[in-house]
Amino acid sequence: MMSEEELRQKVVEVLAEEFELDPDIMTPDATLYDDLGLDSLDAVDMVVVLEKTFKMKLTDETALRSIRTMEDLFQFLLKLQPRA
Amino acid sequence: MKADVVIIGSGISGLTAAAILAAKGRKVVIIEKQPRIGGALKRFRRGNIPFDVGFHYTGCLGQGDILHLLWHYCSVLHRLEVLPFPAEGHDRLYINGYPPPVRAYFSYTRFTDELKQHFPAEQGAIDQYFQKIEHICRSIPFYNTKLPLTDFLQGYKPKGHPLSEFLEKITDNRFLQAALANPAILYGVPTDQVSIDVHAMVAHSYYTGAYGIAGGGQAIVDAFQARLQEADTEFLTDRAVASILVDDHGVTGIRTDREETIESDYVIHTGHPSALIDMVPDGCFRPAFRNRLIDLKNSISMFALFGTVSATPGTKAFLDWTNHISIPEGPNSFPPSLKTRSTQRSLMLTCTERTANNTLQPQIKSVILLQPAFWEEVAHFHHCRKGNRPPAYSRLKHTITEQMLQTAEKKWGDYLGPIRPLAMGTPLTFRDELSAPEGCAYGAMHCLNQYNPRPRTRVPGLLLSGQSTLMTGIVGASISGMVSAGEILGLESLWQEIRRWS
Repeated sequence: MMSEEELRQKVVEVLAEEFELDPDIMTPDATLYDDLGLDSLDAVDMVVVLEKTFKMKLTDETALRSIRTMEDLFQFLLKLQPRA
Repeated sequence: MKADVVIIGSGISGLTAAAILAAKGRKVVIIEKQPRIGGALKRFRRGNIPFDVGFHYTGCLGQGDILHLLWHYCSVLHRLEVLPFPAEGHDRLYINGYPPPVRAYFSYTRFTDELKQHFPAEQGAIDQYFQKIEHICRSIPFYNTKLPLTDFLQGYKPKGHPLSEFLEKITDNRFLQAALANPAILYGVPTDQVSIDVHAMVAHSYYTGAYGIAGGGQAIVDAFQARLQEADTEFLTDRAVASILVDDHGVTGIRTDREETIESDYVIHTGHPSALIDMVPDGCFRPAFRNRLIDLKNSISMFALFGTVSATPGTKAFLDWTNHISIPEGPNSFPPSLKTRSTQRSLMLTCTERTANNTLQPQIKSVILLQPAFWEEVAHFHHCRKGNRPPAYSRLKHTITEQMLQTAEKKWGDYLGPIRPLAMGTPLTFRDELSAPEGCAYGAMHCLNQYNPRPRTRVPGLLLSGQSTLMTGIVGASISGMVSAGEILGLESLWQEIRRWS
């Protein structure tokens, strides 16, 4: 079971690597679209990367669509983590 | 050389995209690795007998159906003789452990009635299944052409539940489950890994009608070729694309393995998406997308046996408008496991020429046997290319031929007489002839735990098309060709023009 801090670090690490982003700008309030330059074409790639990294299925389309910032993404993934 | 659009691959997706673009005055160049165009639709001959590899029958050719609309728009429909299966035509299902054959008619009503006669206690399950399929397809623009296309194609789509789970929920009758799962052989995804939505897309097209083409797949290729030659489309065969040229603004052209350069703002790649990686400059795709293409899991492959039987009135009646499919029982009837013996696997018997006599040898009729196969069964020969296959590979082919013949003759020998084998294709053949990794028959698998790439890529002007992108089979590949052309011409306006004729 991953701690919240570990999860946050892991998300930043894999997205930085897979989308060639600078980890320093991936702050919680950074928006995926405007600040990180990801767009609708990247959305599916992101789902694939996160599913593979965290070995879970991301099926809640409404929740996925509402993700705007890194913090939204952290919270979305934290909710899916099994409780200790 | 200059072109408006370069299309890599000359299968039905490439031909469809080319014909649509050519109709709009675009200068198109098609590059094909093989000496002949047509991909899986083209025929080959053995002893002057023509055989179809990839085209045996199709749905969606009724008035106003998607393939009918597309072929009309592409100016090829009038060059083809479409042969609708008569009302009596069907896929005859031989389910292990259930002796009477089940006739899977190409009609919702007739197939429903047939199933209810066989399984009278399962009327509710049967209705539930067909209602579900129809319900799904009502919201798919290819089947309900009044709908816009863009909304359907865009964005992330959550995946539904596995087909096998749905079948187990509605019925515990293993013979009925097998009969309903049967179209799986037409898209090559295991029933526990395919969503009911993907299943519905393919199954629906056969529940609404089936059609042959006089002259088979080759006639379709010839019709497109004739149309495209009128439009001055150029075909460069027998050469591969070595690299796709890209600058800061997007695609600028391609270079072939013969050092030819073609300048172009658009490139449509119709082959397996993973092949794209070696063609584009490093750094073109982000690692996430690149890895996604590399990791794509492929659909199942086939052993394909091509042979002949005596053309008696009996064999013709048995074969012309009926495909014969032997399947195991249960919701997970497809595919077999690697360990399943050939005699226990699904086996399909179909024919190349429907009604027409082979004019050169009218006393014989060609037949095709198809059986699901795994790459692992031939993987140890992966280094051998066409022309230098070792004796051990020939022995393997011989063994499989014998097994398939034995099974077929045991099941259908009374009607067919002996089958004379003339050629055998394995996953290795499909890999080499069709540039299909692992010999996959339907491209990258449209399965639950996989997101197939969409037509648009991050590189402006570089588009994907083909079975791996939207949907499988001749219908799916044709639609993908339309969508890639639409990405260049304006998708929604093109869609409006195409469906106007319905």
